Amino acid sequence: MRPTRWVFVGLLFGLLVIGSSGPAAAQLGGECTASGVWQNKDLTVDASTIGNNLVTVPRKDTVDWQGSVGSAPGAYRGSIWLELPPPFGKVEIDSWRGTSTNTSNSGTKDYSLPKFVPAGVEFTVSGEQVDSNGVCSGTVRLQIEGGPFESPVTYVALALTIATGGPLAVMLLAMAKAAIAAGFGGAS
Amino acid sequence: MKVSRLIGIAALGFLFFGFVAIDLVLFGVLALNSVMVTVLPFIGLLLCAVLGIVASRPRTQPPA
Repeated sequence: MRPTRWVFVGLLFGLLVIGSSGPAAAQLGGECTASGVWQNKDLTVDASTIGNNLVTVPRKDTVDWQGSVGSAPGAYRGSIWLELPPPFGKVEIDSWRGTSTNTSNSGTKDYSLPKFVPAGVEFTVSGEQVDSNGVCSGTVRLQIEGGPFESPVTYVALALTIATGGPLAVMLLAMAKAAIAAGFGGAS
Repeated sequence: MKVSRLIGIAALGFLFFGFVAIDLVLFGVLALNSVMVTVLPFIGLLLCAVLGIVASRPRTQPPA
């Protein structure tokens, strides 16, 4: 039984080491600024000061946004994406490219996230813009306001957990019972 | 020990721990981009395979 114990100890240690590593710090790198004001929630997010704070945003709102760079960007390109667990990479939310002499831009955006996007889940959204000033990149941790049971995805996930956990327990118990019977029952 | 049953248990362990990882994300325990979301199913696969081997091994009668 000793090797088995070592396997369990190794797994638990691995779990502890991996689980204790925190997410990357959120910050804005490069000569640029970006911020947004949520009109209904009265929430202001400044990418340069948000740090590692988790931002809770409403499922539906209107955002006044603004961004600026140090000097005329010239040819520029950029994108914003949702970080997925490794090795799945990222899902691009939006991208842009063009040529401009303006050093700032702003606008208002209405958004309404569908019900299947779960509330209370910590998403990491990153973005970058590459222009003649260099690379401006940033990351923010955010979650949607509300609880996990607001999304049908939670019920499906729980049902699938039970659907796989039940048979797994039954199979392991059956194997253990068979092994005990073979060992102690006087099987030839 | 039946190898097919052991593979079945390991596969179920992979799926079960995978759904547990999704549950942990949905309940806000793990971040969506956490490496644990990827690692947990493989821990389940290994753990259940080891448990399957241990459970299927006949016990020896203790000496009197």
